[in-house]
Amino acid sequence: MGDRGLHFLVNVTGAGYHRAAWLDPGVASSSFIDVGYYQGVAETAERGLFDALLLPDIPQQNAAIATAPTQSLEPTLLCAALAVTTERVGFIPTLSTSYNRPYNLARRVLSLDHASNGRAGWNVVTTAVPGAAANFGQERVLPREDRYRRAAEFVDLTNLLWDGWEDGALVGDQESGEFADPAKIHPAAHHGEFFDVEGPLNVPRSPQGRPVIVQAGASDPGIRFAATHAEVVYGAQLSLPGAVEFARQVRALAAAHGRDPDQIRFLPALVPVVAPTEREAEERWEDLQSRLPPGPTEAARLEAALSLVPGILGGNVDSPLAPEIFEHSQVPHEGFPRAAARFAAETGYSAREFARHISGGHRLVIGSTQQVADHIEEWWRAGAVDGFTIAPPAFAHDLRSFVDLVVPELQRRGIYRDRYPGRTLRANLGLPVPANPFTALVNTPQ
Amino acid sequence: MPERPRQLHINVNILQAGVFGGSWRFPGTDPLSSYRLDHYLRIARKAEAALLDAVFLADGAAIRDNIRYRPTSSLEPTIVLTAIARVTERIGLIGTLSSSFNDPFNVARRLATLDQLSGGRAGWNVVTTADAASARNFGLDQAVEHGLRYEIAAEFVEVVRALWRSWEPDALVADRDRGVFADTSKIHAIDHRGAYFAVAGPLNVPRSPQGEPVIVQAGASNDGRALAARIGEVIFTAAGTRAAAQGFYWDVKSRTATFGRRPDDIVILPGLSTVVGSTEAEARQRRELLSELVHPRYAIGRLAGQLGLPEESLALDRPLPFDLLPEPEQAAGSRTFYGIVVETARREQLTVRQLLHRLGGGMGHRIVAGTPEQIADTMIDWVDHGAADGFNVMPDVLPEGFDDFADQVIPELQRRGRFRTGYEGTTLRQHLGLREPDYSRPGGERVHG
Repeated sequence: MGDRGLHFLVNVTGAGYHRAAWLDPGVASSSFIDVGYYQGVAETAERGLFDALLLPDIPQQNAAIATAPTQSLEPTLLCAALAVTTERVGFIPTLSTSYNRPYNLARRVLSLDHASNGRAGWNVVTTAVPGAAANFGQERVLPREDRYRRAAEFVDLTNLLWDGWEDGALVGDQESGEFADPAKIHPAAHHGEFFDVEGPLNVPRSPQGRPVIVQAGASDPGIRFAATHAEVVYGAQLSLPGAVEFARQVRALAAAHGRDPDQIRFLPALVPVVAPTEREAEERWEDLQSRLPPGPTEAARLEAALSLVPGILGGNVDSPLAPEIFEHSQVPHEGFPRAAARFAAETGYSAREFARHISGGHRLVIGSTQQVADHIEEWWRAGAVDGFTIAPPAFAHDLRSFVDLVVPELQRRGIYRDRYPGRTLRANLGLPVPANPFTALVNTPQ
Repeated sequence: MPERPRQLHINVNILQAGVFGGSWRFPGTDPLSSYRLDHYLRIARKAEAALLDAVFLADGAAIRDNIRYRPTSSLEPTIVLTAIARVTERIGLIGTLSSSFNDPFNVARRLATLDQLSGGRAGWNVVTTADAASARNFGLDQAVEHGLRYEIAAEFVEVVRALWRSWEPDALVADRDRGVFADTSKIHAIDHRGAYFAVAGPLNVPRSPQGEPVIVQAGASNDGRALAARIGEVIFTAAGTRAAAQGFYWDVKSRTATFGRRPDDIVILPGLSTVVGSTEAEARQRRELLSELVHPRYAIGRLAGQLGLPEESLALDRPLPFDLLPEPEQAAGSRTFYGIVVETARREQLTVRQLLHRLGGGMGHRIVAGTPEQIADTMIDWVDHGAADGFNVMPDVLPEGFDDFADQVIPELQRRGRFRTGYEGTTLRQHLGLREPDYSRPGGERVHG
């Protein structure tokens, strides 16, 4: 499996993953637009030796702002702000291939990479939300296949722009007056289906070779995209057998495309609710849940919690869920219905039990330090994952609990590092520095 | 109480290693500094210690062959400014973003983000980007025609401003008891459908601590002046002489009435390249050395490109080939620059070598070389004669030349009562004496924020 280290990202959104997180009196209402609040998150993640912060994003005003904070600050800029005041943790902003221009995106992410001395990644999304399209002059979202074709061309082009400068292109010879060696700066000269970009980019090569490409990889085109382009895959995995199969499938596809399958890190999302004892963890979860507006019935509340079509449970909360029930799921990420159907079939959980294992489309684990560490270790030892993207229900409380309780436990078990192995995101993820194809062309004997 | 003498507004334009083509070769200078964030953080801290209004980042979205001879724009300005915001508290942060190669939603969001992260210190220098090399990075063979670029820019700014105003000042409620985070009846779609853009909105960033970012604009062509008078709050301009600056100043300020604005709604800051010496002779020597450090091939290539002439038509010791010059409309680069260069060469009958020396690798901005007293004299002279409200200072060498400016010229201006001795406000708008725009609900109803 290549690097067998255990890795964590933290999914940073609003006051936390739980919709009631902001109701915590300890969280200032302006924290979602306050850099000091995010600084606290970054420091906690760095204390826990996390690889990076992952910032989800959709370029539109989410209507859910009525009842909870939503994504607001532009993620590359928020990352730049945090890069200045942290040293080791990485930054993975989410940027859409549908609503950006390749030259600008490549430049901004590479600038972030320089500003952070090699700690940047890019979470590639295609953005299927109609409200975002309407902010960019488009009547409707492109069909999925077209979106992914555009994304593939976008990422290939971005990599080409990032590779445009060989190491040593900047000379700065004050004596001769030679500032740069143009022979080491290469245009992209890209003319494709979606883009025409001449290049070269005006930013030198990254301190880590290239920023790290991150992707969810859950729908069918998403899986193909992950196998051909992604270096970190974080899409929803709800069950262990499902996660094992998914990793096997992506690795096989990657190998078929000539990639080294060990150079992909699988870090699916995990919502941990952890306390020293199971009972305290249960109480923590109950406390969070109790702050949600009460539904008219338990069934309605569970339908909302599981993003099911209202009324579909027919009041039945205790018998096993039919896997087909998720076909009309309202969770926005595309891999969820399939993973949820599989999880339902494997577990035979009722709606009530399901809601204690799934939250907002991701796997929820409520338990003691030992229990949460067990879950992580089991999945990791099975080869299903290289770690997890932690989605704390509420940052102020639950990220700290994870770092203070679970991280030391994993270290005691000898399966988690006790210091950062490197200074770049790539080094910490155990990913190799990609060769520059232009340099390789020159140096490889023909 | 005696009236306080007119105060100057001063920005520092962090142009790589300095404004001149040979700045990076100046003895003691780190030639590659402008490719590292630290360079910008250091200068911004110094600028804040010197109480400047703002740091200013110019930008271009392409490198051309001239990187062989000098540094060019590299790190993306909003990234750099956000990083600067983290290590400073008061200084304004002005970044250049092109209205031709961006989308209004993204620009509005990034500047609103910078404004939130800096507590209301952001400004946007709107440029239309004239060069073909940039166009080729965005799917075009050449830049869009001049007049059309400015039409697009005007609509672009209109959309961005509408997005900035899409949240009413009190939309954020955060009522824990009722479980209401925002009052969505106070967050408005903009539903813009214009000739060039269709944007639904609203923006997903609350209203800025200074109302909205400051709009900065350059461009002295007729289209540029019209746009400046209509939407600009700070005008960055190039003027080689006081008389030219006066003409521009008077023209733009008098055009404001056409758009229902007041002359005071616009702060005009010509570029000023500074070469500070402890004696006049030392400053002159420094200026001479900087001229010699410009690589002649770079200087000729750049001049030829800007004037739309073939490079081989220029010989160092001959005059400009006036008969070969294209009409200003056909010249590739900035019309402002074209006008200044041709007019100077003709009036003073300069050879190409003399002309290049005069330009010094600058963009036709006024260059002042002298003692701190002399530089302060020039600055005050322009402000007192209706040529400027202050300056966008472009130091000869960075960071060193700016250190000299901050340590010597600023105290001189303070001694003369012409520059602040402490920040009086916290936002860029307050530093510049600009009003916070009234909040207008879609439909025109005005609410004082």
